[in-house]
Amino acid sequence: MSKSDVALIAHLMRRAGFGATLTELDEYVKKGYENVVEDLVDIERCPPIDEDLLDRYFGGSEGGYRATWMYRMINSPRPLEEKMALFWHHVFATGIGKNQHILASALQIDMFRRVGLSNMREILLELSKDPAMIFWLDNNENRKGEPNENYGRELLELFSMGVGNYSEDDIKDCSRAFTGWTFAQPPPLYPQGYYPAHFVFIEEEHDDGEKTFLGQTGNLNGDDIIDIIVQQPACAGFISRHLYNFFVADEPQVPSWNVTPPQDPDAIETLSNAFLESDGNMRHVLKTLLNSDFFKAARFKKVKSPTELVTGIVKLVGTYQKPEPGMAKYPGATALMGQELLNPPTVEGWHTGKEWIDGGTLTERINFSVGELSDPSKPGIEQIISRLKADGSPLSPNEFVDKCLELAGPLEVGETTRESLVQFAASQGDLNIESDDAAEENNARVVRMLQLIVASREYQFA
Amino acid sequence: MGRPYGLLRAGFPFFKTVGMRRHTNFPVDVALGKENRLYILCRSGDASMIRKYTLDEDNLGDIGGVATWGVAIIADSEENLYVSDEAKHCIKAIDTDGETLNTWGEYGDGDGQLNAPAGIAFDSEENIYVADSMNHRVQKFTKDGEFISTWGSYGDGDGEFNMPWGITVDELGDVYVVDWRNDRVQKFNSEGEFIFAFGRSGCEEGEFNRPTDVAVDEHGDIYVADCGNNRVQLFNSESRYVEKFLGDATLSETAIDYMMTNASPNRLRDMANLEPQKLLRRPTSVTINGDGLLFIADNCSYRVQVYKKRAIPLTEQEFGPPRRSPTLHQE
Repeated sequence: MSKSDVALIAHLMRRAGFGATLTELDEYVKKGYENVVEDLVDIERCPPIDEDLLDRYFGGSEGGYRATWMYRMINSPRPLEEKMALFWHHVFATGIGKNQHILASALQIDMFRRVGLSNMREILLELSKDPAMIFWLDNNENRKGEPNENYGRELLELFSMGVGNYSEDDIKDCSRAFTGWTFAQPPPLYPQGYYPAHFVFIEEEHDDGEKTFLGQTGNLNGDDIIDIIVQQPACAGFISRHLYNFFVADEPQVPSWNVTPPQDPDAIETLSNAFLESDGNMRHVLKTLLNSDFFKAARFKKVKSPTELVTGIVKLVGTYQKPEPGMAKYPGATALMGQELLNPPTVEGWHTGKEWIDGGTLTERINFSVGELSDPSKPGIEQIISRLKADGSPLSPNEFVDKCLELAGPLEVGETTRESLVQFAASQGDLNIESDDAAEENNARVVRMLQLIVASREYQFA
Repeated sequence: MGRPYGLLRAGFPFFKTVGMRRHTNFPVDVALGKENRLYILCRSGDASMIRKYTLDEDNLGDIGGVATWGVAIIADSEENLYVSDEAKHCIKAIDTDGETLNTWGEYGDGDGQLNAPAGIAFDSEENIYVADSMNHRVQKFTKDGEFISTWGSYGDGDGEFNMPWGITVDELGDVYVVDWRNDRVQKFNSEGEFIFAFGRSGCEEGEFNRPTDVAVDEHGDIYVADCGNNRVQLFNSESRYVEKFLGDATLSETAIDYMMTNASPNRLRDMANLEPQKLLRRPTSVTINGDGLLFIADNCSYRVQVYKKRAIPLTEQEFGPPRRSPTLHQE
């Protein structure tokens, strides 16, 4: 296998998944890029994660949902399924800070996992019936004669088309169409814990009068509104830009999209066309995206989200490949880095790209990464040491740095970073890694080198 | 006292609910002490604690930090408590004040070593059988942790296991093991010789979806926590299906006290469909005492549901002869 093959597959797995272990990378490279894309998108080609094991070891703990989700990200044989759940969580940002109902939030993520790779119509329909979303944007208070326009507005502005593609009257009639879309009251948290809420349509609360939405008039209900939305080129463009921002390269924040054009209009057009020609089929759009030249050329063009950083590091060190205590520290870590899963700051979702980084979050990112790489007995680090040994010794400082960069990514770094790493390596001379007499010292040298790599500016990019 | 020749099953009504959220969070198992004392093992995240109650719900306090991933709890004749910890691969013995008496077990697959110990059970001599889950076997120890014997290996044949979970020993010394991933229960004698197995994957009567625990009462009746199907199934001593328990919970006294001082949840309960609230959610263990009280750890509903068996032993004269075939003839 060529180094460029490995680098390209590693790029694919960072974006369409959450990274890959060295063993996984070997297998993916053998399969070939296009086949791996097929496996990623047509998820039925791979077995699902072992749900029984998840239930046995993580079940029955409401506080563990975030940790269980991250375990799925790290271990699912269907990584794109989890990545799309995270994507829709970014787009349809719903915060637990308001609903305080972890089960409803968890079930929303489960719904994203279930339908996230289907088509836009089904996704928006499920979203509109999702109790966590209904409560988040007050559609449970949207009644005939006393409409609440919160959901109707955000459905158009943030979830499907973006500002500038509809009128205030469209918002009003869109909201009227969703009157009566609510959920049945679940039993309260006390004394027996969370119970799921279920969507109900209350006919008496539904406004069945005539409505006009985006030029179409009739007795429209929520289903009709979604049918109209998904046919709009604006919807195709809006979702394509979201996909580009999440999978390809950082775009400016969503509120500026109506005034700031995409950095790669041709890519957005390609994705939009794929969307429109397939009636919003996400699998078709994603295959188009992942096989495109603009995707393949976008290595290290986006800042890792905290979730991507943390899961990528855990994949790198090879831990938690089976259920073990301690998973809860990982969602805690992403929260400190600015991404508390299930609790985006506003309905706009997290601001991405360089806005992930400030003095505090960068410190958290580096401290976390360096800490995770401190133990040479972790399986992923053992494997790196083993591969360094397989290359024979001694390794010159240049060879040592290049091999570590290759095994930790492969990661491309700037000349300044590389020089610093080589300088550090050179301060301790050649690495005689095959020497059993100095195994402990050599392992420590590898660990320190890997720690410097994950602390680098370049490692913050996916 | 031997087992009865037959049984008149007069009923098995719901008896009461014990516990609520905050008091008994995610109960996984119940050990029975003297004078109706209950020791409810609760596991949440990476911590396990024991809530001490009486059957009348007098709160006797709690013991924290007993395990990382506690799975099972049993009490010996002196009411010392033994807890299995599948994260630390050990069994911990404590007194009822929480003082550690002993901790034994180490990670590994050799004789006496453990890999994710799950169910534990005493025999009449207070030796401990351990479902050594990730080693797919049963091991027998003295209660001080000295290895006695072992049987089983990975597989789905007779005497083989796939991640066994619950275990119990009946009054005759026979051992019942919940073969979790094989969706069945296997019965052995005390030497580990296979006697029979029952159950298969599914949700019909006599079928299981990842069962977690088993108990046997003085009549030989077998109770299986059919966790994935959210029910407990009852079989007779020959493994014939008798009936199931889906849950009939009422509010516990603790819960009623709580609700009487909190107006908002009362209103929400009034708006809600209460039907789901009585049902079992992920029942992880079954425990039965000599009075016929069946304790079900109703894991995801933060409580223990208790049923009371009423069955009258029948003599041979009272029971009628065995029949090989069903009949429509009414005598």
